[in-house]
Amino acid sequence: MSVVLWYGLLILATVVMHVARDTQQSQAHVVLVYLLVVLGGSVSGGRPLGFTLAAAATILVSYYFQYPFDEFSLGKPIDAIVLSAFFATSGTTTYLLVRAQEEASQARAHAEEIERLSNEAGHAAGLREAARFKDILLASVSHDLRTPLTSIKALAQDAADAGDANSAIIVAQTERLSKMVAHLLDMSRLNAGAFPVTIELNTAEDLVGAAVLEMKGTKGAERIRVDIDYSAPMLVGMFDFVESLRILTNLLDNSLLYAPGNTPVELSATRVGDWLQFSVADRGPGVPTADAERVFEPFYRHISTSSTVHGTGLGLAIARSLAEAQGGQITYSAREGGGSVLAVRLRAARESSFQFEE
Amino acid sequence: MVMHPTRTDATVLVIDDEPEIRHAVHSALRSTVARVLDAADARSALATVKAQTPDLIILDLGLPDQSGLDLCRAIRAHSLAPIVVLTARHIESDKVSLLNAGADDYVTKPFSTSEFAARVAAQIRRARTARPGTSGTVEADGMSVNFTARRAHRDGNPVRLTPIEWAILRALTADPGRVYTHQQLFDAVWAREFGDARQYLRVHITNLRRKVERDPTHPRVIITEPGVGYRFGIPLTQETA
Repeated sequence: MSVVLWYGLLILATVVMHVARDTQQSQAHVVLVYLLVVLGGSVSGGRPLGFTLAAAATILVSYYFQYPFDEFSLGKPIDAIVLSAFFATSGTTTYLLVRAQEEASQARAHAEEIERLSNEAGHAAGLREAARFKDILLASVSHDLRTPLTSIKALAQDAADAGDANSAIIVAQTERLSKMVAHLLDMSRLNAGAFPVTIELNTAEDLVGAAVLEMKGTKGAERIRVDIDYSAPMLVGMFDFVESLRILTNLLDNSLLYAPGNTPVELSATRVGDWLQFSVADRGPGVPTADAERVFEPFYRHISTSSTVHGTGLGLAIARSLAEAQGGQITYSAREGGGSVLAVRLRAARESSFQFEE
Repeated sequence: MVMHPTRTDATVLVIDDEPEIRHAVHSALRSTVARVLDAADARSALATVKAQTPDLIILDLGLPDQSGLDLCRAIRAHSLAPIVVLTARHIESDKVSLLNAGADDYVTKPFSTSEFAARVAAQIRRARTARPGTSGTVEADGMSVNFTARRAHRDGNPVRLTPIEWAILRALTADPGRVYTHQQLFDAVWAREFGDARQYLRVHITNLRRKVERDPTHPRVIITEPGVGYRFGIPLTQETA
């Protein structure tokens, strides 16, 4: 487009100046007009258009406006100097103009980039500030809820130890409430965005042992059976110990809650390809196949579940988020012969052997 | 019914700005210790530590006038009595920094009174027992370790340990029952080494457990304190539950 426009202008200027050639017009006016056209072309069309316009204008000056007119011959030596000066000037200005334009556009791009980065930095600082505030808020809510719970539990336990049956119920209900508080805090931590995990070399045995110890004292904990082959090489993974412990205790809690009171809950650890798989298997009622994914939704509850089962409805949802936060997975499947299997997969360590010299 | 640990003649100081928690601690320890002293802020706590030399100190975080960490260090400058920290879940890093600053154990709120009393009694017992040092024999749950002879036995049968396993056991048994943070164990075992060796601590612990525990699923010799570290000795968690 601009090529046509500027060559059009070049022709128009030539025609106009040609008509006025025999009047008072000096060669300097002609050169200035052409220079203007060349510069305009450079601005809109860049170097290629600028240089070709400069060449064309040089030819036109030589042909139409240097005596003898309408032929390519130079009357005076000064005409040759004028002509080459014009060509050099228009070429140089084209070059400088285009370079200045390029630099200006680079500077603009830099300025935009800097602005974008500083906006982002401001945003990141804002996020950090929000995360810090959230931590303070959670710590304070946690503290505010735990203080009365601690007090109620201790006093009720004291009375229960003295033989008061009502107090024993208060103790049990306080424990339930404590678990709800813990789950709600976990949930809000997970929902608040960036969730920090500490991925370290850990062993399956250490995690399972800690889970069993933590479950001690929970109703039905004696039903937990652990299946780990201690004669096989140990299973080593890359995972966050504390959060993975929460996953396992949530799964065990869930199975102890829903599986009938005399059935075992089996906890096992195996290596499956690049994963360490921890499975919690029970003989509970299970859920329909269609609900296999829904069990991980907050407050999911299968309709057949007795209303006397007191879960928080958050345990499995938290477990899934905690697994995913460290690059793992968790799935539900129906167990052969009835019941459920919840399988957590965490990353296995790259090394396969961990033997050290005696 | 719930059995309380044998009552001792010990004096315990509870440092907490919440009167309800102090009351709960009094109630939980009534059958365990002879006397429970109160302090509602760091200043009076330090004064009591200096004047009354309690046998054990229970420290809740979040005092109005000083951070728990600073108070823990300040107490350590005047007293060797065990410090048990009352803490909320979710803040493992707080537990770790307090243990690194000289605290001995922690109990998570809301605690079970029997577990709490058992831990307090165990810490008092631990503080009164002479340290085994490097010459004595240390025993736990059928496991016996003699550092002078460099021999370890599981139910009378010899157990072969690697040099690093010896170093870990020595570090943990320097003060049986005390929680050692991962950092403290790194420093004790790999003091002069840097780099990759340290990441294998948990692997060494697992190897060691296979040798020293009767049932590695229910460890009773080397206990994991999740996110914090390890301790040597009978698990204190929910002993009586």
